[in-house]
Amino acid sequence: MKKQFVYYSDTVLNSYSILFFSQNKVFGLILLLASFFNITAGITGLVCTLFTVLVMCKLGFNKEITHSGLYSFNALLLGIGFGTFFSFNYSFFLWLIAASLLVIIVSVNLTAFLGKYGLPILSIPFVFVFWLVLIASNGYSGMGLVQKDSYVVFELYIGNARVISEYVNQLPLPNYLALFFRSLSAVLFQNNILAGILIAIGLWIHSRIAFSLVTLGFFIACLINHLTGTYPDGISNYHLGANFMMISLGIGGFFLIPSIRSYFWAAITVLLSFLLVNGMTRFLSIYNLPILSMPFSLLTIGLLYFFMLRIQPGKLRLTPIQNYSPETNLYQYTATKERLKDFHYLPLNLPFMGIWTVSQDYNGQITHKGDWAQALDFVITDLDQQTFEYPGNKLEHYYCFNKPVLACADGFVQEIIQHIEDNRIGQVNLEQNWGNTVILKHAEGLYSKVSHLKQLSVKVKLGDFVKQGDLIALCGSSGRSPEPHLHFQLQTTSYIGSKTISYPFAYFQEHNELKSFTIPKTGDQVQPLETNAYLKQAFNFQPGYQLQLNADDGRIETWETLTNAYNQTYLYCRENHAVAYFVKNNYVFYFTSFYGNKRSLLYLFYKAAYRVHFSAHAVKDEYTIDSSLFKPQLWLQDLIAPFYLFVKSSYSNSYTLVDQGMEIQTDNATIMLTQHGLHSITVKQSKTKTNIKCTIKSI
Amino acid sequence: MKIKYERPVIKKMNAGIMDKFGMPSQYDPVKEIDGVEVKQLIHQYGSPLFVLSEKQIRRNYQSAVRSFSTRYPKVQFAWSYKTNYINAVCKIFHQEGSWAEVVSGFEYLKALNNGVPGHQIIFNGPDKKAEDLRLAITNQSLIHIDHFNELDLIIVICEELNQKAKIAIRVNMDTGIYPIWDRFGFNYENGQAWTAINKVVKASNLELIGLHCHIGTFMLSCSAYEIATQKLCKLAMRCKTELQNTIHYLDLGGGFPSKNNLKGALTGTDSIPTIEEFAETITSTLLSFGFDTNEMPLLILESGRALIDDAGYLIGSVIANKRLSDGRRATIVDFGINLLFTSNWYDHQISAAQEYSQYTEETVLFGPLCMNIDVVRYSINLPLLETGDQLVVHKVGAYNMTQWMQFINMRPAVVLIDTKSSPHLIRKPETLDYLELMEELPTYLNT
Repeated sequence: MKKQFVYYSDTVLNSYSILFFSQNKVFGLILLLASFFNITAGITGLVCTLFTVLVMCKLGFNKEITHSGLYSFNALLLGIGFGTFFSFNYSFFLWLIAASLLVIIVSVNLTAFLGKYGLPILSIPFVFVFWLVLIASNGYSGMGLVQKDSYVVFELYIGNARVISEYVNQLPLPNYLALFFRSLSAVLFQNNILAGILIAIGLWIHSRIAFSLVTLGFFIACLINHLTGTYPDGISNYHLGANFMMISLGIGGFFLIPSIRSYFWAAITVLLSFLLVNGMTRFLSIYNLPILSMPFSLLTIGLLYFFMLRIQPGKLRLTPIQNYSPETNLYQYTATKERLKDFHYLPLNLPFMGIWTVSQDYNGQITHKGDWAQALDFVITDLDQQTFEYPGNKLEHYYCFNKPVLACADGFVQEIIQHIEDNRIGQVNLEQNWGNTVILKHAEGLYSKVSHLKQLSVKVKLGDFVKQGDLIALCGSSGRSPEPHLHFQLQTTSYIGSKTISYPFAYFQEHNELKSFTIPKTGDQVQPLETNAYLKQAFNFQPGYQLQLNADDGRIETWETLTNAYNQTYLYCRENHAVAYFVKNNYVFYFTSFYGNKRSLLYLFYKAAYRVHFSAHAVKDEYTIDSSLFKPQLWLQDLIAPFYLFVKSSYSNSYTLVDQGMEIQTDNATIMLTQHGLHSITVKQSKTKTNIKCTIKSI
Repeated sequence: MKIKYERPVIKKMNAGIMDKFGMPSQYDPVKEIDGVEVKQLIHQYGSPLFVLSEKQIRRNYQSAVRSFSTRYPKVQFAWSYKTNYINAVCKIFHQEGSWAEVVSGFEYLKALNNGVPGHQIIFNGPDKKAEDLRLAITNQSLIHIDHFNELDLIIVICEELNQKAKIAIRVNMDTGIYPIWDRFGFNYENGQAWTAINKVVKASNLELIGLHCHIGTFMLSCSAYEIATQKLCKLAMRCKTELQNTIHYLDLGGGFPSKNNLKGALTGTDSIPTIEEFAETITSTLLSFGFDTNEMPLLILESGRALIDDAGYLIGSVIANKRLSDGRRATIVDFGINLLFTSNWYDHQISAAQEYSQYTEETVLFGPLCMNIDVVRYSINLPLLETGDQLVVHKVGAYNMTQWMQFINMRPAVVLIDTKSSPHLIRKPETLDYLELMEELPTYLNT
């Protein structure tokens, strides 16, 4: 019962806050309150919203989408519009219900239709239906819909909470400031400074970036008008609020990741909006229709699609996962750009076993030049940096000669050459420059090539599928190779002699340091990572894995590994429904995001095991800045976050072998692992120390 | 400079042509070890003196690891404590990444004290006391079972502690060499090993995670390792297919020879296979056996001798020269079989520590003990030594510093020369107080 009430109330509040691309409950409540400054409109708006939510639930539509308010906010707008423009009478309610239903149908259908292209519906259903109603009621007075004020619907409602409103409206506010607040209230079809102030406060609480973008839209629009004199009497507050300011917010901070570029585009779109607003006003005036927020909707959708069609998006990025908060979108994006390299690159391993030394790196002085500059040469060296054992006049004296060469990633064998004789030490074969070579195809446009292999040492056949780490050949000294060494490069085409491309190795070890997604340099002694069995076992959270946790303060939680529709894995806490998404591969485990109760044990674990490398190398990382809580100390950072980040929250850990397994230590937590997996977690918070015992229920 | 006096010698003419052992050896003096003068070492630490080269230890270790790890993805070395368990030596190996392989309770404690985590200690040997086993089980060490009585004892202890033990079975087998080392572990051919494996797998408190063999010592044939690897792999595969028990590691033991000259060996040191060759044989057998790429067992090696023998030197001084009844020359030096246990097996290479003329004389080298058996070399060509001259014995790093005797003479100091050529005392010479530390005098004798 309580759960249902929370669901419905949340849905209603979301329907309000989503008018400003938000899901903030406080902001939703403020908007709800502000809508009641026009009591009739407030009531009809709320009624329409409730009606829609009820219909959606009863008809069995997607609960998640309904909950976000995406289906109901158009009905909300319709309700407010109806209450604002038409007088109450019998037929009012009849047509309100009819129009609401129509809005619902159009919303759902259009959501599905545009959803296929990844595009939003914005307020198109509302505008479309409202136009219908206006045209119909103008032509058929028998319908009984009576407009309240004079014909001009742009003259928006000043409100009937007259006492306070008039007091506020008479405050000696500078003209532009008053206009700013009145414009904000226009989103609710009002022209009320007090409502505007309330909305502005709500918007600030929701997002500092959003606030700055709305201001930017307002400022640019006023500036353009000032310079051109398009509207000699000033821009109407409705156009400002519903079109210029909203499009600045939508483009600059919601659909794009906030950045200097997105702010630039926000400014540009305001200029474009002028054309649309004016053109459409002229066109629609033929039918005596107001343009409402149609220019904003059309322009936003058009621009979005335009941006989506780019092949190389560069630095202006569309929001990949919508968090309904410009701050969260931005912080998550910056964090994942650094942290999710596993998904940007095909994870390549070094093509050999043991410690090898880079003898020539990218743009090397010897042969890595021009189109073939992005290649690496490897040899094996000893304590004295020699590549051979005395006397070094035979191939066999060289440490790397005859050593296995491995597949750097899964792929098909594309090309094999192995008939070329190995050179004697000091001699080179310039005619068959590359020597014996194997080319693997890993993906369309991604090939790897190993060269100077030993004659007749190739262990695979043309067309074979090889897995990462499979033995493909032995290191030799054929081609342009005065002494045994291994040449490795990546290329976009399948030919011997193709030009090289720069591509990093995913994880490897240099001396005792972990390197991830880097390209080694000349002289680096590199080695594939060796993973620790305890770490690997402990973090092997396969779907179905269940862990029970008993804290010494009495808290009990049960976590389970689940996967979502996108094949992303997460730990789910049964008791408090907290969710922590993670990524795991052969070398590393890391959390990507956490949703839910921040006092849960799962949150402690999320913080403690934020990134764990199975090679037991100490790790440093940055937590994603958490903007979901009310944190005024972050406001300044939020405001300038699109341009500069100065707040950092670091994570680091280290690993210690103990008799029965291993300990992972972070600043305030210790995770103990045994051969069976997670054993216990100890967390120190200010002065309290929590011991959590882990019991594995199912693997 | 005054020319040093050397006594006159009469020697059979040798034209210096090649015989079946090659050219006559050159007797270059060894005046310094790792950049430290022998004379200075003797002066500073006394004579005789064991000297270890840290650089050579690290070089050997890295070279052995390189040989295996560039051929096989999962390789782990475990330092064989009995070969040389001076803590400084062990620490160097652990620093390089080596686990510990111990064969007794005190070695086990030594490994723990050296900071090796319990689960990286391999506990071998036929004599593990109940107390030692308790500790090893609690610490999750890898226990390699040698016989059924031990297996039964472990089952009882595990029940008593209510804890699981990590177990490997030591297997002995016919690898085509003679004699077969069949006194340790369970035999492969007669099925005892399989019986033991079954018993371990069935025991609820035992977890079979590895298989171990050690086919011999100073092995001069690679093919024996190929057979041993093959047999262990077969056993591991059988565990997986018949008992659904995955074997996580195969421990091929040690036995790799050093470049020492075995007594009675006709071919000298040139025919001794290098670690590279052993590595090639073992890893290619493993790689081609047919394990799943993701389920390759960890390869553990317990090599001792090959990693340290040539990093150890014994330097000593000439006490006297004399002539024996049959006319042979004899030289008495201040180190004997009390310090050079390995002289039972090897004809150690011995160099003089100072310049001489080209003349040499065949000599019997006696140690300082008042025992007839104290002979270091029965016949060796040495320059014309005089009392007080120094000698350097090569390749004595393995076993001598653990099997040495305190008999007639005390044990001397051990010095480690670090990678920057500074000597460090890592074991003080023994004193009378040390010797009598453990003694108790009954009061009635104390008058």
